[in-house]
Amino acid sequence: MDGYTISVLSNIGLFAFLAISAWILLIAGEISFGQQAYFAIGAYSGGIATAVWQWPFAAGVVIAVALGAAVGALVAWPTMRLSGLHYAIATLAFAELTRASLNVFTYRRDIEGFATGPDGANGFGDIRWVYEAGIEPGAYLAIIAGCLGAVIGLVALMSYGRGMARLRIVGEDPILAAMQGLSVTRTKIAAASLAGGIAALGGALYAHLATYIEPAQFSVMTGVHALAYGLIGGLGTVLGPILGVLIDIGLLESLRVFAGYRMIVFGGLVVLVLIVRPRGLLDEPTMRRVQAWLRR
Amino acid sequence: MLEIRDIKTTYGKIAALKGVSLDIREGGLTCLLGPNGAGKTTLIWTISGILKAQSGSMKLAGEELAGLKPHQIVEKGVVTVPENRLVFPEMTVKDNLIVGAFSRRKAKGGVEEDLESVLDRFPRLRERANQEAGTLSGGEQQMLAVGRALMARPKILLMDEPSTGLAPIIVEEIFEIIGKLRDEGRTIFLVEQNANLALDYADHFYLLEQGHVTFGGQPGEVDHDELIARAYLGARKAS
Amino acid sequence: MIDFVQNTLDGLAIGSAYGLLALGFTLIFGVMRRLNMAFGPSILVGIFAGAWLHSHWSAGMIPVFLATLAGAVIASAYVERLSFAAIRGDAALASMASSFALWMQLEEAVARVFPQRTYAFPTFEGLPMLELGPLFLRPEYLVMFLTAAALVAGLQVILTRTLFGLHLRTLSDNREAARVSGVNVAQVALLTFLLAAAIGGVAGFLIAATDGQISTKLGMWATMKGLIAMVIGGLGSMRGALIGGLALGVVEAQAQWYLGASGREITTFALLFVALILLPVGLAGGAETGARAEAGRRL
Ligand SMILES: Nc1ncnc2c1ncn2[C@@H]1O[C@H](COP(=O)(O)OP(=O)(O)OP(=O)(O)O)[C@@H](O)[C@H]1O
Ligand SMILES: [Mg+2]
Repeated sequence: MDGYTISVLSNIGLFAFLAISAWILLIAGEISFGQQAYFAIGAYSGGIATAVWQWPFAAGVVIAVALGAAVGALVAWPTMRLSGLHYAIATLAFAELTRASLNVFTYRRDIEGFATGPDGANGFGDIRWVYEAGIEPGAYLAIIAGCLGAVIGLVALMSYGRGMARLRIVGEDPILAAMQGLSVTRTKIAAASLAGGIAALGGALYAHLATYIEPAQFSVMTGVHALAYGLIGGLGTVLGPILGVLIDIGLLESLRVFAGYRMIVFGGLVVLVLIVRPRGLLDEPTMRRVQAWLRR
Repeated sequence: MLEIRDIKTTYGKIAALKGVSLDIREGGLTCLLGPNGAGKTTLIWTISGILKAQSGSMKLAGEELAGLKPHQIVEKGVVTVPENRLVFPEMTVKDNLIVGAFSRRKAKGGVEEDLESVLDRFPRLRERANQEAGTLSGGEQQMLAVGRALMARPKILLMDEPSTGLAPIIVEEIFEIIGKLRDEGRTIFLVEQNANLALDYADHFYLLEQGHVTFGGQPGEVDHDELIARAYLGARKAS
Repeated sequence: MIDFVQNTLDGLAIGSAYGLLALGFTLIFGVMRRLNMAFGPSILVGIFAGAWLHSHWSAGMIPVFLATLAGAVIASAYVERLSFAAIRGDAALASMASSFALWMQLEEAVARVFPQRTYAFPTFEGLPMLELGPLFLRPEYLVMFLTAAALVAGLQVILTRTLFGLHLRTLSDNREAARVSGVNVAQVALLTFLLAAAIGGVAGFLIAATDGQISTKLGMWATMKGLIAMVIGGLGSMRGALIGGLALGVVEAQAQWYLGASGREITTFALLFVALILLPVGLAGGAETGARAEAGRRL
């Protein structure tokens, strides 16, 4: 693989974390405009851990995921009783609050003679652990793919058990779900925490690939894209959001003729898909058919 | 088995239940009659914990239910077949049934067996097991909701107007199912507007009017025709 | 103290424009029960149409205003056809995603035609600064405030006195009941959409004319401000939209003055977050009626 392909694939992989994160909440019946906040939290905390505290990469990733999951649960706790549009705007407010706070967040330490760490709106550079360890882009792509595989595996495990079904019924009808003996609050907090952890994982991986991050990268636009990916790719399977990312970044990167008109083409494509398939390409009925076919 | 004492429930400032007391006896069909807006659904939602009672107590075999979360109440064996929102429309019939068994913490096993027995009980559901529940007819959805409740192995089954919106012949069918469940010795609390039919099956009944229980007794004990006619007068939709 | 009052005054003026944006959102949300993410970008199309007329033909205020309105209405019609009329009634999420896709499309289309970062927009020249004792009021702000008031009054008349208004209200109360009562649902929905776009166009024009310059960021900006103001005020009520807009304007103006730009962002979003948790029904309060609350919940 050449460097360009590797970088496109890496980008697809990284956005997939964010898209899966938004998708999980969609399944649980919540629209989040704010998953980019957890991506940012993961990127900043992972970056601080390796670049400022000089921790090993794995520890940085772990702390990022833990923080993302914890903040996800913490934010979910008061916002859980909000619903629909109110929840969506609350997540938006939280994400913008996070971004605005990062704009003034400065935490610099002297590392080998250089001031290193987040510097407000100027961003946070020199997150160089991966490069200093001599990890090639191809190998890093493998790490991204491995982590993504783990996330997909986790969701598959949840589908095999009852986890995903719980999310789905709470999403479809919370009152009827409660009447079936499910704790709606607990389910939703768990979903938000899972979503936060997954987005933070993507963020930590992203920071170490980019080596430079800044608050402006984690804008509402990023979050709304993440949400759209799941809706386009399909709500029926965790592969849906990944397909969405693939279509947006992959297809259009490979068809260079559209350069400059990318959004016009992509936007039109999405509109057509949604008219024909309102719940995305890989929607629930499609997935049921696929499963039935696999079982034969 | 379930003793309800002086339950008060409000929507904001509107009092819907103004001190309701009644008993649901073990192994029998207790029926709650009442006109539109009497507070029947409110009572069901209060028992199942979706709505919080302002005061009063609900004791299941001596154990207080008031204040518990809906899922805890289901775990205690009080399972609801709600009015109107019956099924998860986008899930298949079979998945809907399996959802009913989610609450069975202790007895996780036996789900397959129970599924079989529910499908035996409702052959029409077996035929449509892999169909989306939203595509079922009203009567079939009602059966599915009952079947799903049975999957939870309930101690008490709460049913809210299972006859709403169904053709008379389907209503008969639903009531035969309810009668059969009663004959099996299950405890059922049935909310109905269709007084004549319900009283054919009830062991015990109460009358709820404007948030108050105004009568409790056994069918045939008194001349209840007059009582019911009075309660429903002008308040009853053509049924 | 003077500062505080002055900020409040400025905030109310900007807030009235926010209120108009929220009003457009509310109209659409009430009738469609779905979120039109492309609302701001449709206005963006209008504003750039106006700017084009201004720079190429050095058109005056009135043609620019009309061009802004026309652009917003035409872009909105495009959005309504593709993202709302063409999508199944129960697929609210699909409409939201679809209108987001059109947002991207409209924004990029505008950016292709207008590649510079910013463009000039005609301003209200020659109007004198108003002095009220120690307070000042920019004339643009007064225009903004008065236009908003007039529009709201006009809208109130449309809603309560005309057949179209009656149909609109039945539709936003209960779509099915409206349909079976013989309301031409598709037509009323489209007209409502266009009415909302026109209101948004007026708001966009006022804002652009006050700033004197525009960029493609205005689309996102308008969607966000309108959405936030609508939700703060309480879903689906006219009064709520207005109150929400005014409240947002005042809070932003105060925070900007006392805390600066980054302080304003932090304060506004922190307050928004807290307000949603403490006041989930919105500032205009009041219990939402069944269907509307359910739609907000399910979207
Ligand atoms: N969400 C609500 N907000 C305010 N008042 C409500 C609400 N739901 C019900 N009520 C009121 O509470 C009272 C009892 O309603 P409930 O639904 O329990 O009646 P019901 O006996 O089940 O009637 P029906 O036979 O029509 O189903 C009614 O007066 C109703 O107007
Ligand atoms: Mg009822």
